[in-house]
Amino acid sequence: MNAPPQTDALDIRILDALQQEIPLVARPWEDLAGRLGVPESVLLERLERLRHAGILRGISPIIESRPLGLTAATLVALPVPGKRIREVAALISEYPEVSHNFRRDHHYSLWFTLSAKDTRSLHAVLEEILTRTGFSDTDILNLPTIRKIKIDVRFPLTGKQNGGIDGTA
Amino acid sequence: MEPRDLQVLAALEVGLPLVPDPYGEIGRKLGMSGDEVLERVQTLRDAGIIRRFRARINQRLLGITANALVAWHCNGQAAEQAGAILSAFPGVTHCYERQPVPGRWDYTLYTVHHGFSREEVQEEVRMIADRAGLHEYVVLFSTDEFKRVPNVRIRENGGGIG
Repeated sequence: MNAPPQTDALDIRILDALQQEIPLVARPWEDLAGRLGVPESVLLERLERLRHAGILRGISPIIESRPLGLTAATLVALPVPGKRIREVAALISEYPEVSHNFRRDHHYSLWFTLSAKDTRSLHAVLEEILTRTGFSDTDILNLPTIRKIKIDVRFPLTGKQNGGIDGTA
Repeated sequence: MEPRDLQVLAALEVGLPLVPDPYGEIGRKLGMSGDEVLERVQTLRDAGIIRRFRARINQRLLGITANALVAWHCNGQAAEQAGAILSAFPGVTHCYERQPVPGRWDYTLYTVHHGFSREEVQEEVRMIADRAGLHEYVVLFSTDEFKRVPNVRIRENGGGIG
């Protein structure tokens, strides 16, 4: 793996600010630059560089699933032996209904999330995956979503939890 | 939602352009004015179809390499109340209530945690467990990420699937 890209204190302040509210105004970067106390052109240059380095994947709205017709979701865990993990994971990742697919340190080693328009379609996709991978209902954990209680993905990049990435800790 | 709203969402999904007038830039591609794009985005937000804008960050490149899913047993506490307590911790990025598999997997609350090391995450989970009074839980560290995308992807599947 390549060494992580270099970031400085301003990059970290920018990333931190980007995780807060980005205002819905015609010139959001001007607004953000003002809050950070840098010229808009400097901010845009930095954003472009962070994007190029792969640190910033993009700035986009979180789209709610229900209004778009996705009403059923589940988390599934499979006990996949180490030697089969890549093959099974690749097959599962191909499904557009799958958004997250992680290997985890446990007897249940492959964990993925599925969403679909209703529970019936959700069940159909899961059954197909199980048939294709050779697992049965009693081998796996199927953990349907009852409620989303919180989704707020922000990483503390400054302050005491910062392990020194801005060089000040 | 109108077809033009879907076009706007599909354009935004790629990312807000990094230019002084990002909505104008999107508008030029879609044959709308920047004002119309911005108004549609504001309407979509007011209607609850989109939540806030956020930066998608590859936290691994910043050294945040530890990721754990924690499955919690409520032990008689009401899941709703326990979920509210877990969610209040800023280090918790996701909290879901899920159906258990009775007798085989009785955990009903799931949280996601991130950190610079496994030790840091374990420490945080222990602290949260103490404060929440939840002592039966499993910490599931990730070792490989095979797929990680938003569950709604307008360009790939029009948002809904099938």
